[in-house]
Amino acid sequence: MSENQQEKVKVIDARGSFCPGPLMELIRAVKESAVGDVIEIWSSDTGSQRDIPKWTEKAGHEFLGVIHEEGYDRIKVRKKR
Amino acid sequence: MPKKVLVVGGGTGGTIVANNLAHRLHDKLVAGEVEITVLDPSPLHVYQPAYLLIPFGIMHRSEAIRSERSLLAETVRFRQEGATKIDLKNRTVQTASGNLGYDFLVLATGARPDYSQVPGLEKAGYDFYTLDNAYRLREALGRFGGGRLVTAVAGIPFKCPTAPIEFAFLADSYYSRLGLREKVQVDYVYPLPRPFTIQNVAEDVQTMMDGRKINVNLLFNIESVDPEKKELKSMEGETIKYDLAVLTPPHTGAEVVIKSGIAGKGGWIPTDRYSLRVNGYDDAYAIGDATDIPVSKAGSAADFEAAVVATNIWDSLNGFAPSLRYDGKVMCFIITSIGEATILLFDYEHPPKPPPSNFACYWYKLVYNRMYWSITAKGLLPGVGV
Repeated sequence: MSENQQEKVKVIDARGSFCPGPLMELIRAVKESAVGDVIEIWSSDTGSQRDIPKWTEKAGHEFLGVIHEEGYDRIKVRKKR
Repeated sequence: MPKKVLVVGGGTGGTIVANNLAHRLHDKLVAGEVEITVLDPSPLHVYQPAYLLIPFGIMHRSEAIRSERSLLAETVRFRQEGATKIDLKNRTVQTASGNLGYDFLVLATGARPDYSQVPGLEKAGYDFYTLDNAYRLREALGRFGGGRLVTAVAGIPFKCPTAPIEFAFLADSYYSRLGLREKVQVDYVYPLPRPFTIQNVAEDVQTMMDGRKINVNLLFNIESVDPEKKELKSMEGETIKYDLAVLTPPHTGAEVVIKSGIAGKGGWIPTDRYSLRVNGYDDAYAIGDATDIPVSKAGSAADFEAAVVATNIWDSLNGFAPSLRYDGKVMCFIITSIGEATILLFDYEHPPKPPPSNFACYWYKLVYNRMYWSITAKGLLPGVGV
């Protein structure tokens, strides 16, 4: 995990990890973060776009959106509680 | 000096790779040109798929254990001791009695339950991830006269990804046969938005569970367990009450690979998914549950991987380039009742297309439980289809 100073976002690079790896890594990161933190998970698994919004909604966190990059997605979530 | 092949771990993968190589290298082993050594602190080899079946009386302890020495080819050396440190740079494995060098290393160090990851987990309930726990569970299931039976997954990855599904189906079948099903509510609890990792299999499982009145609770990531109140609490803020909880613990890799600095995230060994070499080393392989490759932690994966690694080590010892790549092949049964099963066969590129549940698959699974000792573990069916 690294921290992007400009946006104050915790980045987790889960590229190359397959379902359910990216979702599990996000859940672990949310568990270890403070309320208000933004976590950005990088995933090359297309299932992440489907699974991560479902989890954030159920868990009461904020889904901030997806940025499509070449060969992977950057998915942002804010811890709300 | 003989060429030395050292296998750390005498479980399914380690035993098969050693025996497979021993058959191919018999003459060189007898002539002292090659040595194969298996290292494991336990003198016993346990057939772990039995853990799921023991609670329902379908398998028994005597069918689940053999001596490791009796399974290994006579030409394989077995040292009953654990590795205390693995030094890949200096090609050395340390044990309590000294250092062992190698020309080729196979890390088959497996996975182990890690109850510490979830507060309350170890005291909260039952599981089928050790032989003793499988027997404790058998007693508990027999005593359970009614109430809410919850089977839940407390962390991914874990050994045998289909086992919690099978447990729910078997519990349904077991209590139906006893005439108690109406008194037993069966709940299946899973961390993902579907009841299995693979989408099309998840859809089939959901349909079958709905038809059997098994309650499916999804996106429930267990944060803690309260054994006093008999409650599971999730990261998502939900609570599930239980009368009997059967919990799949989170797993991690072997202590020796973590302490030796070899393990990556979760305690798994960073491994090339095709060559099965430990990343950065051309003389060290990792197979079975120990690796971080994206396949099921299951005996069949270890079996197929062992065939690839044994072939490639044989190639190298004989001056050839490695000739096989692991394609991610896994074969898993899903027992869907006492008397029916289906089968999943898949690889990195091809998802499974399971047939409808049937008696023949169930029968074959029970036959396979016995074949394991005489054929699979002995390395006599080397990598069919690899």
